[in-house]
Amino acid sequence: MFNTGLTSNDLWLLAQGAGMTLLVTAIAVSLGTILGIIFGVLRYQLGPWWALPLTFVLDVFRSIPLLIQLILANAFVNMILVPTLKIGKVSGFTVACGVLAMYTAAYCSEIVRGGIEAVPANLRRASRSLGMSWGQDMWNIVMPLATRVALPSWIGLALGVMKDSALVYIVQVPELLKNTQILITRLQEPLLLLMICGLFYFLISFPIARFGGYLEKRWSND
Amino acid sequence: MKVSIALGGIALAASLATTAQADKLDDIIASGTLRCAVVLDFPPMGSRDASNNPIGFDVDYCSDLAAALGVKPEVVETTFPERIPALMSGSVDVAVASTSDTLERAKTVGFSIPYYAFENAVVASEKSGITDADGMKGKVVGATAGTYEAIWLEEQVKSWGAGEFRPYQNQADVFLALSQGQLDATVSTMEVAQANVKTGNFPGIQIVDKAPMVPDYVALITLREEYGLINFMDLFVNQQVRTGRYAELYKKWVGEGEPASLTIPGVYR
Repeated sequence: MFNTGLTSNDLWLLAQGAGMTLLVTAIAVSLGTILGIIFGVLRYQLGPWWALPLTFVLDVFRSIPLLIQLILANAFVNMILVPTLKIGKVSGFTVACGVLAMYTAAYCSEIVRGGIEAVPANLRRASRSLGMSWGQDMWNIVMPLATRVALPSWIGLALGVMKDSALVYIVQVPELLKNTQILITRLQEPLLLLMICGLFYFLISFPIARFGGYLEKRWSND
Repeated sequence: MKVSIALGGIALAASLATTAQADKLDDIIASGTLRCAVVLDFPPMGSRDASNNPIGFDVDYCSDLAAALGVKPEVVETTFPERIPALMSGSVDVAVASTSDTLERAKTVGFSIPYYAFENAVVASEKSGITDADGMKGKVVGATAGTYEAIWLEEQVKSWGAGEFRPYQNQADVFLALSQGQLDATVSTMEVAQANVKTGNFPGIQIVDKAPMVPDYVALITLREEYGLINFMDLFVNQQVRTGRYAELYKKWVGEGEPASLTIPGVYR
């Protein structure tokens, strides 16, 4: 009744793809978040005018489709960077992580800026008048409050980047969707394979979403 | 003024960097890997085995080329339309991907001499008594509508002034009709014919001859300006035929029989 050419080998290939998706996402989100915090704080501190060049660059990353960014970055690295700097071949994995990290950073800097702006100015004035330095004010007053505001958007961003990472197949990274396509070509069972692929994505994102929900609840009680 | 001097300096530095740069052949040997674009949904030239590793004629050909260069092969899966963009963007070094050597493509990329040729086979039902391509004359023939083979066969029927041509929706229908005796013969790509006869799903059909059509010659491609590498690939293809490796790979992936001749009588290259 239910025949399939799918073997445990193939499931292992899908699991490896899921692992690659997780790895790319983890690297891109952590790097992107660090960069995003730096850029977000810079943009807030510099004010709209002085931060204009930075805002422009980040807007470029936000407004060009990720697929195009990946292709262009890959071509740039292979055609210009590699020959001029005389470095060995750069793997698609590196390019994918780099582009996804910048893409994350662009969105994350907006989230961080929004979070900082959400901290009441009076509260910050109060902390400064108590004698706190800028650093102490940022660390002890702004960060705890801004994090609570920014967390839901940040979880949304992390999940979004994880799903967008399906596009990195274009630079030859064997992630989940690419491996699914490999199996579809061989086995000609698209519906079953896409269902399994969707299940894998769900298994990865659901815990992250729940963990975010848990943090939100926990932090809102104090 | 200062800006223009600075720009001039950058341009000069860039041009120096390019002149000092080794060509792709050196780069491949220095890097230790040869990245080949191969199409993996095109058996028997490229496909995947049960453990999803790339296999096929083109995959073996890539390994041979890498071995000749003394480097490790790396198969990069591409689709047919992605082959040339992958080459242009530098994500692969060569494409071993059954690329027909059209003049239009030669404006963009550099071709080696042909390394393979897709020939067409005459497949006949055993009952028809057809033993060669001429035997089709006046018989009932058919092929998948709209294909190169179908157009050729239809013209043949017209020129014979006898016999009948029947178009079909897909290749499987053609072989089924042949097996059931509705058709006497058909013409299809040798590789497709071999694969279908081998399945045993169509009893009573056999490959009897090669069709007298111009084969589809395919060649290795790399960047247009990489003469060093193109020269190497030309000699490599020549050596593959000379050493019998070409015939060996044909036997391994396509089947019994003579592989297509890669030269055209009466002309160089």
